[in-house]
Amino acid sequence: MNAVTNLARLRGPGIFAVVAALALVVAPLALEPFRLGLLAKYLCFAIVALGIGLAWGQGGMLTLGQGVFFGLGGYAMGMHLKLVEASSLPSSGSSSGGGPALPDFMVWSGVEELPALWAPFADPVFALAMVVAGPVLIATVLGLLVFRQRVRGAYFAILTQALAAAFVILLVGQQGLTGGTNGLTNFFELFGRDLADDSTQRGLYIVVALVLGVLYLGARQLVNSRFGRLLVAVRDGEDRVRFLGYDPAVVKTIVFAISAGMAGLAGALFVPVVGIISPALLGVVPSLELVVAVAVGGRFALAGAVLGAVVMGYAKTSFSEQFADGWLYLQGALFILVMTLAPKGLVGLAASAREALAARRRPAVPASRTVKEIA
Amino acid sequence: MSPIIEVRGLSVVFDGFRALDGVDLTVERGELRFLIGPNGAGKTTLIDVVTGLTRPASGEVLLAGRSLTGLREHQIVRLGVGRTFQTSVVFEELTVLENLDLAAAFRRPLLSLARRRRGVSETVAEALETTGLAGLADRPAGVLSHGQRQWLEIGMLLAQRPEVLLLDEPVAGMSRAERERTGELLTSVARDRTVIVVEHDMEFLRRYASQVTVLHEGRVLAEGSVEEVRGDPRVQEVYIGRRKDDAVSAGS
Repeated sequence: MNAVTNLARLRGPGIFAVVAALALVVAPLALEPFRLGLLAKYLCFAIVALGIGLAWGQGGMLTLGQGVFFGLGGYAMGMHLKLVEASSLPSSGSSSGGGPALPDFMVWSGVEELPALWAPFADPVFALAMVVAGPVLIATVLGLLVFRQRVRGAYFAILTQALAAAFVILLVGQQGLTGGTNGLTNFFELFGRDLADDSTQRGLYIVVALVLGVLYLGARQLVNSRFGRLLVAVRDGEDRVRFLGYDPAVVKTIVFAISAGMAGLAGALFVPVVGIISPALLGVVPSLELVVAVAVGGRFALAGAVLGAVVMGYAKTSFSEQFADGWLYLQGALFILVMTLAPKGLVGLAASAREALAARRRPAVPASRTVKEIA
Repeated sequence: MSPIIEVRGLSVVFDGFRALDGVDLTVERGELRFLIGPNGAGKTTLIDVVTGLTRPASGEVLLAGRSLTGLREHQIVRLGVGRTFQTSVVFEELTVLENLDLAAAFRRPLLSLARRRRGVSETVAEALETTGLAGLADRPAGVLSHGQRQWLEIGMLLAQRPEVLLLDEPVAGMSRAERERTGELLTSVARDRTVIVVEHDMEFLRRYASQVTVLHEGRVLAEGSVEEVRGDPRVQEVYIGRRKDDAVSAGS
């Protein structure tokens, strides 16, 4: 582990620069709009995965309900887009009276007045603030309640999964408020720009890639800070950390809230990129898929989480294009293989391959030195 | 001046079993106090209650006159009480230096922890020096030997700068050389702090103890200097009786 981080520290900035150049310059030029849109979608998932990498990989909190926070962010953005669109289309809602215009699906479900919950989302600043503040607030309250009671491990995982299931039920049940199973869709413009336009989509892709890059650097900074060391300590020995004078519940809540905020932001970016937010995109299964992706990429390294999300997203699309039903089995098999054979994921495999190569190039001398140091 | 640790009428019950039964204990500032007693006497339980790990059924613990009842573990640490465990727990993925640094950093505001550590603070350097682990500072704690882990734990305790240290069998499983090193470490630590040590090892006790409290079946059996306690017939009975039991069980 230590050798891996040392190597990463040495090569990290170089690799990051290359990946950033590929993502920001090469991809927008080389990929056709459809493929670029898909990549933007994977990068949205990668933002969620980054949060999972922090919470699970670094903090040991196996969160199976990130879809909830993704959904909160997505719906906040979706609600804003629907309201903007309703007010710009005189045909849909304004005929019902003097109040604010209604989104199309509300008209179809027979809702006559804009619900109080929706009204503030017409303000873009409020909507954008809620994208992050909503998930962070909910994760903070939940975290303080749960971690203070020392709920952890499998119990925490089950709790978050149940939360995802409950959230979907809530969304589906409130047809008039949330669009039910269909969710929110038919978005035409974002901050005055036509969403169907290729240049808008390319711009969106760049925004997503930039957000991911900035969050990645921030997360790395956090992991390398004293707080990051404390987080690893909480993961490996929560009870011991108490006797160092820290409250593990606070440490875990902070990180859980950060991961929730990331998921919320990812959800908000996802909506204009993909054009829909619906319960099927944020329930138990999508939440689990991202955890699997993080495991495949390598949960102990933030880069592994990001890599896993992109690779698994790409694999899912290309595999499903050929064998629609095969993906689930392949995904399950991959998960089992990784957990049993390579618990550090793709990043771990790459690191051990590098070490093996380096050891072959410089035979015997460094090996004997390490033995002596340990003794 | 009030004693630094005052235990009054402390009882702890586990599923009907009285692990502690009305224990009173007073430890003055700057004392090096040994707690001894046969297995199951309640020594570790007493430490657990003082540090907030176990809730007492009745009685209370005062730290410099202030009640610790109802406080959580990390709050008690923040008031200046530190402890080690029988099986040493250090963070294996972190380096020796990082282990010590975390132990020293808990008084900093949480936000300042978001910054990367630069250099080595004086407290940490001192702890590295005292424990003789300076040469291993950048090694992950996972590679340390058993004895080195115990010292790292004591080092972490030092870096915490507590007023009271509670050590649970610090020399268990150590080689003779390691024991001596630990004994010296303890004596130097005890110079400006209050130290309470749970220990089984009689030889270690004879060499380093000043004041001894003997626990037996959850009660204080005797208290005094090593010589007084060794001469106490009740203590002899408990220990000799115990030896007999051990001999019987070993022979069977």
